[in-house]
Amino acid sequence: MIDLLLSGPEALTPYLVVSAALFACGVLACATRRNAVGYLMGIELMLNAAALDFVAYGRFRTPLEAGQGQVFALFVVVLAAAEAAVALALVYSVYRTFHDIDLEKTTTLGARR
Amino acid sequence: MSLSIFAFWPLVALVVAGALCTALARNLIYAAMSLGVTLSGVAGLYFFLQAEFLAVAQLGVYVGGILVLILFGVMFSRDILGKTLRPARGTWFLGGLSAALTFFVSARVALAVAARRGDNALELRRSAPESWPGNFAPDSPAHLGDLLSGPYLVPFLVVAMLLTVILVGALVLVRKEGE
Repeated sequence: MIDLLLSGPEALTPYLVVSAALFACGVLACATRRNAVGYLMGIELMLNAAALDFVAYGRFRTPLEAGQGQVFALFVVVLAAAEAAVALALVYSVYRTFHDIDLEKTTTLGARR
Repeated sequence: MSLSIFAFWPLVALVVAGALCTALARNLIYAAMSLGVTLSGVAGLYFFLQAEFLAVAQLGVYVGGILVLILFGVMFSRDILGKTLRPARGTWFLGGLSAALTFFVSARVALAVAARRGDNALELRRSAPESWPGNFAPDSPAHLGDLLSGPYLVPFLVVAMLLTVILVGALVLVRKEGE
């Protein structure tokens, strides 16, 4: 444990544990938020945890010439941006239909007449 | 041991605290701001992993782009006007349980992986210039560009197509009906 604390950024384990904590926080946000935007924040946290894992493993485990970890994380960042744009568009159209973005109320495809 | 641990552990604490606030804050604006702290902290961790380009991309795309989008989204919410949507009691219990399980299982796996390979205190790899693939250092932005225009060209083009589709799709989704 002391070794781990002293080695700090030079060891793989701290990155993996931080990534696990980020992912758990994302799960918690997705499970408890009733607001669609809060839910989206949880998804962003989980995506970031996955990207951090990719970069850490790419740094410590694969030959650096491959560069796979960083390329994969770059794709994760791009897809997260795309996902956020679509999710916000969906939130906007849900808000226009239901005048609310409470996920417990949006249980039908359209507003009740 | 190097002096960098005095920057590393506070950064880790900042990232985890920001993530917890994102999940737990009552006010959605606070949650969005904590998310910004977490995303910037992860960019700092990328610097520690010597992934400078990725760190800058993280700051530009996540903190500059996605966070602003999310703040726009927060405006649709009633949570900033003092009326908060409180989840049911059972949701807190189940959500907390699943989050705790997720954390303990993945942290346990991380520790087991490090112990099994026996290189927990692995030095960051620093290869000699003779073994570099081109005229640039491994994991430098030039190397990333070389990879994206070489072995990863097809995924790169697919992502470019996807971004175009997303742009048009998002516009169609927010279009007023009947136009």
